[in-house]
Amino acid sequence: MADPVSTMPLRVPVARPWRMPLVVGVAALAVLAVGSVILPTFLVNNLIRSFLYAALALTVDLLWGYTGILTFGQSAFFGIGAYAAGLVFVHAGYSPLLAAGALAAGLAAAWLVSRAIGWLAFYHGASPLYASVVTLVLPIVLVQAIYSGGEFTGSSSGLSGFDSIDLPLEAWFFIAGAFLTVLAVIAWLFVRSDAGRLLVAIRENESRCEYLGIDVSRYKARLMDTCALVAAFAGFLFACVQMVVAPEYAGFVFGTELVIWVALGGRGSLLGPIVGALLIDTGSAYLSGDLPYIWTLLIGIAFVVVIVAMPRGLAPLVADGVRGMLPRRKGPAPVAVTFVAAPARERDDATGGTARPALSLRGIHKHFGSLKVLDGISFDAHAGELLSLIGPNGAGKSTLMRCIADGAQRSGGTVEIGGAEIRRLAPYDCVALGVGRKFQTATVFDSLSVAEALRIARYRVARPSRWQRSTTLELPQPALDVLRLTGLDRIPEQQCRYLSHGQKQALELAMVLALEPRTVLLDEPTAGLTKQERTQIGSIFVSLATRYRMCLLLVEHDLDFVRQISSRIVVLHQGRIVMDGGVDEVVNSDLVRAVYAGESHTGTAGTEGGA
Amino acid sequence: MLNLGLDIVTTAAILFIVSTGLLLVFGVMKIINFSHGAFLTTGGYASVIVAQAGLGWWWSIPCSLAIGFVLGMAVERFIVRPLYARPLDAILATWGLGIIVGQLITLAFGRGVQMVASPLSGAVHWLGAQYSAYRLVLVGVALIIALALGWLLNGTRLGLQTRAVIMNEALARGLGISSARVRFITFCTGAALASLAGCLITPLASVDPNMGVAWVVGAFMLVLVAGASLVNLAVASTVLGGAQVLVSTFVNPVLGGLTIAVLAALLLRIRPEGFARG
Repeated sequence: MADPVSTMPLRVPVARPWRMPLVVGVAALAVLAVGSVILPTFLVNNLIRSFLYAALALTVDLLWGYTGILTFGQSAFFGIGAYAAGLVFVHAGYSPLLAAGALAAGLAAAWLVSRAIGWLAFYHGASPLYASVVTLVLPIVLVQAIYSGGEFTGSSSGLSGFDSIDLPLEAWFFIAGAFLTVLAVIAWLFVRSDAGRLLVAIRENESRCEYLGIDVSRYKARLMDTCALVAAFAGFLFACVQMVVAPEYAGFVFGTELVIWVALGGRGSLLGPIVGALLIDTGSAYLSGDLPYIWTLLIGIAFVVVIVAMPRGLAPLVADGVRGMLPRRKGPAPVAVTFVAAPARERDDATGGTARPALSLRGIHKHFGSLKVLDGISFDAHAGELLSLIGPNGAGKSTLMRCIADGAQRSGGTVEIGGAEIRRLAPYDCVALGVGRKFQTATVFDSLSVAEALRIARYRVARPSRWQRSTTLELPQPALDVLRLTGLDRIPEQQCRYLSHGQKQALELAMVLALEPRTVLLDEPTAGLTKQERTQIGSIFVSLATRYRMCLLLVEHDLDFVRQISSRIVVLHQGRIVMDGGVDEVVNSDLVRAVYAGESHTGTAGTEGGA
Repeated sequence: MLNLGLDIVTTAAILFIVSTGLLLVFGVMKIINFSHGAFLTTGGYASVIVAQAGLGWWWSIPCSLAIGFVLGMAVERFIVRPLYARPLDAILATWGLGIIVGQLITLAFGRGVQMVASPLSGAVHWLGAQYSAYRLVLVGVALIIALALGWLLNGTRLGLQTRAVIMNEALARGLGISSARVRFITFCTGAALASLAGCLITPLASVDPNMGVAWVVGAFMLVLVAGASLVNLAVASTVLGGAQVLVSTFVNPVLGGLTIAVLAALLLRIRPEGFARG
């Protein structure tokens, strides 16, 4: 067992993540200032629009590229912002005060609509397809509303010929460009921060995030609110510059165009979608006149090819090419993360361990249609117990686990965790009650590193920074023990996808333990492990129960393993408890002998439990 | 009153005809085929080609079926098959295909609106009301399509295999069913049906390069609500199509156009499984 400090590279960590984005941002502003003077007017005019579109594309990228919410609806928020300006300027005239009022109204409207969309699209158990459907319906509804507004909204021809903020083109160019730059720098800081990694975690495994105690739906909804506000602001600027608004800017076709730009530029990168939007939109201004339908045809073909053949878009290709051409220099190594022990938190039940059961089940029923899977399961489990659930396939073991970790699963009965009833609570709220669930197949976040995955697991307990990357990660002692025992503490920067099967299982266990649970549900945690790994993980379980006084509920098929580590065994058969008792009593019973016929029973029972 | 009832029935029939191809592909392949709109457009232009060639309108039925099927073969092989594991990307790629088809048609036929003469002009007089004969014919066509598909799925070996793939693809593969072949034939059939639908709706509406887009969103919503069942699709078409007719008649036509999308979205929020097992 290595001491983590000595295995870390000895160098002063440079944790100034804001420096690089800031330098790039200031440079971009300087380029904008120069560009506004020297570029030809036609290009300046087009770039103003393209900058605003690029800002919009950036929000699509955050939602879709990073978080996995395929949205066609960002155009609607853009349209809301634009129409807020257009309607006010047409019907009330222009004054700085009215402009401010129009902006506020646009932002408020976008925010309200986004809340409604969030309520519709994001709820526990919603499918990603449904969220896309809702974002698809939004612009369609909005455009029809604009059509039916008649004179007031200008119907299909939109609103034009209104006065607006009187600024020279060069100033608008700088404003639009600065808006995009500031947005990009903020987004850059955010997606690279510790908290920003959660976007990727949600994209890769939403359900694991929920079982790590994170209310994913709420988080997605907040992200959409933010992106809606940005889009509405871009729309407002657009209306002020162009002095025209039309239903097409709020429409679903524009919404899909944004997705196309992001896909071509490179979803999940920030620069890709910006460059994609700028090049395609400005290119359209120059080329669509000469090649009216060919240009759109070419974009369509490129889009299909990119989606099919290079889902990451063109950004990674270009980035690799540039990196190949530049002289090789040592890039800044990723900031190494040191794991340190989190201070033990006060536990109200630490002293009176016998007072209340850690887990109490009363009459749990679960049926799928007429098929009864669980039929009146009742038992208590206490802190310090290592309770194994055994039984043939289809006995309902995994279903029972699900019913404990997700309040919406069971058909009847009550579950109490640490004395609190779980009612119909979603998994993330069950986590808050102190239950942690390890899945049957190890679920980790493929493109996150070991340290990042663990930080996501700490999200509920210690909210990470939105702008910085920390060089230390506090973890509770049991999680640290698992990392040390399995050597994961030596490879905090390793991407999860490159871990071995056993390492993934260990990492998931460490993630669950990072939640500081009092009850841990383990669904076949040793499946696919080597004999050695199995022994190792068995000793971890025993110490979790005995040393850290957790309550462990284990589903296992390997009777020898169960006998070695359990303090108590419950046998399930066809959804009912058929035996519940001490290890010897159960293992040597005729019933279990009959079910597990052929298992050898000659091994010593002396190593069992230790509890 | 009778007219209103007929409106509801014929609207349901048209929606059913337009959506079946999409439903078939969604049921078997679990992907949303947004190029459905492109196939609808293709079918519409098939009848334009037939009219330009001087043939009778009825020739456009076999023509649209054939064009749709052949186009579907190419699309399945080169676009849909690689994206089978990425359903959201499949939506995008098939949408992109719709753009390509739309532009190619614009290049070939111009962006203007084309009219196709209705094969059955005139109205049927019945119980003092008169009603478009062609719309009534479409009710029969919808029934024929439903029966033919029902027979294909329930009465043939291929249909049995298809149903097996719908229920449990992994198991079906394990039993020696070539799910790749089932998917291929399903997609081509879906494309042919879409193309046929495009051809059948042309006498009611004009033909233009983007005619499919207007239909595909409604069809998409109906399919999501219906799940993978033809019966549910008929129910969904009748309920939502009926609501559309009622809202258009009594409230206003613009709201009527939104009825299907909005109702379906709300319905799916309350009941994510839609009409399935309803």
